[in-house]
Amino acid sequence: MRPLQSPLQARQLSEYVCNNCTRQLRRQRRRYATTTLTTSSNPDIYDVVCVGGGPAGLSLLAALRSNPATSRLKIALVESQSLTPIRSFSLPPTQFSNRCSSLTPSSVRFLQSIGAWKFVKRERVQAYREMRVWDGVSGASIDFDTAALGPGGKDGVIAYMNENLNLTSALLQRIDELGGVDVLDGQKVADIRLGEEGEDVDLSSWPVVKVSGGREITARLLVGADGANSPVRAFAGIQSRGWDYERHGVVATLKMEGPGWGGEDHKIAYQRFLPTGPIAMLPLPGSYSTLVWSTTPELAAKLKSLNEQDFVSMVNAGLRLSPTDLKYLHSMPEGQTDEATWREQHTPFETNKIPQRVVGVQEGTIASFPLKFRHADTYIGERIALVGDAAHTVHPLAGQGLNQGQGDVESLAKTIEYSVTHGQDIGVQLSLEAYNAERYAQNNLLMGVMDKLHKLYAVESGPVVALRSLGLRAVDGLGPLKGFFMKQAAGTGVKVF
Amino acid sequence: MAAITSPLQPTSLRNLALLLRTAPRFVQNQFRFQSTTSGPASSSSVNPTEVSHFNALASTWWDPQGSSRLLHLMNPLRHDFIRSCHATQPIPPPAAGLRYLDIGCGGGIFAESAARLHNTGLVTAIDPSPQVLAVAKAHARQDPGLSGKLNYLNSSIEGLPKPTSVEEQYDVLSLFEVIEHITHPAEFMDVCADFVKPGGWIVMSTIARTWLSWFTTKLVAEDIVGIVPRGTHDWDKYINAEELRGYFLKERGWNSPQVVGVVYVPGLGWKQVDGSEKVGNYFFGIRKDEV
Repeated sequence: MRPLQSPLQARQLSEYVCNNCTRQLRRQRRRYATTTLTTSSNPDIYDVVCVGGGPAGLSLLAALRSNPATSRLKIALVESQSLTPIRSFSLPPTQFSNRCSSLTPSSVRFLQSIGAWKFVKRERVQAYREMRVWDGVSGASIDFDTAALGPGGKDGVIAYMNENLNLTSALLQRIDELGGVDVLDGQKVADIRLGEEGEDVDLSSWPVVKVSGGREITARLLVGADGANSPVRAFAGIQSRGWDYERHGVVATLKMEGPGWGGEDHKIAYQRFLPTGPIAMLPLPGSYSTLVWSTTPELAAKLKSLNEQDFVSMVNAGLRLSPTDLKYLHSMPEGQTDEATWREQHTPFETNKIPQRVVGVQEGTIASFPLKFRHADTYIGERIALVGDAAHTVHPLAGQGLNQGQGDVESLAKTIEYSVTHGQDIGVQLSLEAYNAERYAQNNLLMGVMDKLHKLYAVESGPVVALRSLGLRAVDGLGPLKGFFMKQAAGTGVKVF
Repeated sequence: MAAITSPLQPTSLRNLALLLRTAPRFVQNQFRFQSTTSGPASSSSVNPTEVSHFNALASTWWDPQGSSRLLHLMNPLRHDFIRSCHATQPIPPPAAGLRYLDIGCGGGIFAESAARLHNTGLVTAIDPSPQVLAVAKAHARQDPGLSGKLNYLNSSIEGLPKPTSVEEQYDVLSLFEVIEHITHPAEFMDVCADFVKPGGWIVMSTIARTWLSWFTTKLVAEDIVGIVPRGTHDWDKYINAEELRGYFLKERGWNSPQVVGVVYVPGLGWKQVDGSEKVGNYFFGIRKDEV
């Protein structure tokens, strides 16, 4: 028999609530309740409680509800924001949200399999078939196109750019279509504690989530899809380790001079490594692109303070001028446009190898967020599973964060299905081991590569620059190797890890 | 676990020993209870060594990292095996309300999992050891979803009232890691047979009587390493799949024998390996004639 209060549970409790309250909770647990609770008769006991209604959490619920084996599970969703505006998400074709992610073909295949992709507004999704990456210091470049993918390349698409809102809206519509999820939106998690031992039922290992509206729900399995500062992770006493990059990601929706050098049918993604961080320009439908510029917090603040014209000039300069020129432009209080125009005249570059010019920025889309590297020590605990950003936060330079979350969800849904069909309690750690084993090493490896790339390209001069340029040129010259990297990036590669 | 890192072997010695240690070897005592008491076995019928052994075991029965880990890992394969038995039927079993009788249920690893399946109506799980059954009952309280579907009884099979109608009989009678501890398996099986519905199944898992099992369970586990008390296993009682097959098919009203050998592969867990039933752990299933 599991001890009533194991040392682990005591530790978990004490990390989440103060010592006094922990003691009080223990006392309460000793007082035996007399009411009988069963999953079927008690409306507040659930098989799965998911905290967080972002892409990872919603995908998990859609996956569980759409699979006949797991569709009998009783499921609740807790989300702090109201989901109503997301459900009815609608923007004119000339406007795009500034929070976009690239979805790999592997993520899209998963979204199709759970029946959510059909609700994605396809006219707002942009596939890209080529990816150009170059070194801002040495100019060495690598060009990934669909030819390198070989016969395994799916329809020649490397990835799909999509607004996060378009995805979450589609997932919500799919969940609404399937029904059977009790949605508690607009409600924050006020408290999580362990349940109590009664006469007939012992819920002392079951998490109880109290939401700001006052309702308390008990979970067989509590899923933390609640982001980088996950309350579920904190409750479980799982440490998340890592560091801040001292970098901010500046995002914006940009209007370009045209649909790109390859036209509507051959869109290209661009990424230039600058010593301050990579600047990426990813294609959206029509003549629009989305910007992700990772830079120092000071320069990010500076960029956000510029008027529209100077901001546009800085983005154009960021993809063209030398790091030395950029440093000077950043130091100017204003008037970047004239200075950049003059300097560009004296900088040689191949026009058709870099993105077309930015001509405008959509109002209200310039924003920034701090970049972090975090990895939880484990993704599972007793009656706990973490997915997405609650488990890992990655540098956005390869746009893998959301895709990693989709990979987590696919794996966790498969693990839950196995438990259900074999009569295992889906919440116990033994049942969740397969999920942790499958995802942890894979994410760790990818995150390590992303982190190393960031550090590699933060170097401004010396032998490292020469070596990394040599590396890029060498990879560019070797078709099969390039194909391998692309397949890994597209999530279609052989699982070698 | 150290075994995880060791190379592939038919059945890891340590793991096999663990399996044996956790097996309900007191089941053999059922026959002794039978001669003196007709009701459920009382705690006094279990010898003191057994009691202390199972008391020690009780605290770790449900610890997935403890000595029962191998049993926990094997449990899903039991369901896969039962499913494969059902799949051989020309008409599939009913989609709901299946009745299970789990004999020698121990801490309830299989009984709980069977009760959780959506097509299960009722699981009756029996064990003659009150200590072990207390563990099973306490653990079942941790899952409110089991209430009403799982019934534990401190009894031997002989202590159960004989079914008087098909409704009282069971679709699946399970004997996991039990038969190798039974002194007179043929008589025991005959008692079990009355509890199975026409068209229902007896499913079991055990170890083959081979040079390998003698080596691992008798010589090494008991005599050399001593993780299993000497005399725990009577290697002569081990039964081979061929012998089970021969017994049931000898005009006793059974058909469709199913045999699947399983091997513990360190790092991968239990795997089905064709032909391995001849050397180590295996599942055996047999279907009662539909009259």
